[in-house]
Amino acid sequence: MAKITYIEHDGTEHAIDVKTGLSVMEGAVKNNIPGIDADCGGACACATCHVYVDEAWLAKTGERTAMEESMLDFAEGVAENSRLSCQIRVTDDLDGLRVTMPESQH
Amino acid sequence: MQAISRPPVERPAHVPPERVVDFDFFAPPGAGEDVQLAWKRLQDEGPDILWTPRNGGHWIATRAEDIREIQTNFQRFSHRVFTLPYDPQQTHVPLPLGVDPPVHTPYRRIIMPAFLPKVVNSVEAMVRELAAGLVADLAPRGECEFIEDFARKLPIAVFMKMVDLPYEDRETLLPWAEVVVRSPDQAKRREAQANMMGYLAKFVEARRASPGDDLISTVVHAQVADRPITNEETFSLLTLLLFGGLDTVASLLGFICRFMATHPEHRRDLIAHPELQKNALEELIRRHGISNTARYVTEDCELSGVALKAGELIQVPNSLFGLDERLNPDPLTVDFRREDVRHAAFGNGPHTCPGAVLARREIAVFLEEWLARIPEFELKPGSHPEMASGHVNGVTRLELVWDPATTRS
Repeated sequence: MAKITYIEHDGTEHAIDVKTGLSVMEGAVKNNIPGIDADCGGACACATCHVYVDEAWLAKTGERTAMEESMLDFAEGVAENSRLSCQIRVTDDLDGLRVTMPESQH
Repeated sequence: MQAISRPPVERPAHVPPERVVDFDFFAPPGAGEDVQLAWKRLQDEGPDILWTPRNGGHWIATRAEDIREIQTNFQRFSHRVFTLPYDPQQTHVPLPLGVDPPVHTPYRRIIMPAFLPKVVNSVEAMVRELAAGLVADLAPRGECEFIEDFARKLPIAVFMKMVDLPYEDRETLLPWAEVVVRSPDQAKRREAQANMMGYLAKFVEARRASPGDDLISTVVHAQVADRPITNEETFSLLTLLLFGGLDTVASLLGFICRFMATHPEHRRDLIAHPELQKNALEELIRRHGISNTARYVTEDCELSGVALKAGELIQVPNSLFGLDERLNPDPLTVDFRREDVRHAAFGNGPHTCPGAVLARREIAVFLEEWLARIPEFELKPGSHPEMASGHVNGVTRLELVWDPATTRS
């Protein structure tokens, strides 16, 4: 279990306990957090679960995969700390993680 | 499905006798009635990983955990061979399916933009108009053969628009697609692929000279990493794209429509509770997985206690992922309120279906437009839906009836 804070583009925060083994995207979708669409259901095939990872957590969330890198090219407003949240697996180490959603996923 | 003679091969010495099950995936027992159930029996009754002497001799992984491992660990389970039986005379590399990352990634990048959610959003109105028109024409008739009258029209019309090919040509293309995905005859499959390439030649030529905003033009003028795409790559990508676009959504629509025809309570529940649709869609897809591809084992290795040898082939029936009770309790029950619907009907890993967002949208539109106009329908009495297994499970015939008085315009 890890407490993850999802921050909407307008600053609204949602702190949620997410089960280990789920993805950061699944944690949001299961709890109806707005701002993560995940149209492809977590297959790294749509780039609609784009989040910005809080700088302090970049090391712990790991590296982008090649496929993720390629899909991120199709997202808007990509920055150094951009990730596709379906590709971040939740572990106990991520307790306290903060991610911010972009203005739009499309 | 016609069965051609494929004599079993001898069991290799390293395959333990208790792992052997005589299973021909082109004709599993009971596939004619319920093809996923026929596969499910293999999962229930056989070892988790089994070896069949049919179709050249190959392994089959029947459990979700192993299927996920095989589909994501591309270093060990390569996509260089993904159709069974292995065809030594298949010379061209089908792109992007026949290659692994990192070679695979630039090819996938070429086609991916055409299937992004924002593009799918932009074609949804067209999909809906087509679907509504088809259903409105059918409603007063009181009966139809769903596969020919709907399943092989809607997704194909959508796809033909995306690639900007004449809709009438579906009559030519569909029989080739049927052979490629479900014929055990390798020579016929090669011939169908050659036919498709021949058909495409004049369009490729024309769009090379004057490109449009269609997917064929995109591929013809694509860059592979930092160089222009070659002629061979162009044809390879387009051929696979066409076969993928022509058959798969039609197959899924057939399975889902058959389910809705035979489960009036589910149908009425969905009509009464449209908010269930997103979950219902996933649940219907979970129950009716369609793809049965294989992987090439690149090195001697062990998978869940089974020794595999380099060069062997292992099949991953995607439908069995969602039907594994170790993952989804009571897996054969379709429950629109199931929490946590888990399936791999679109694959996992690098070769995950790029068209998944479009496929889901087309199915959602079908459900909405059909149920709004033809809420009550059933199988034609005395008729039997025809189903087939192969590289892709499919429904080949589905006769429906309804009372036109219950329809709405």
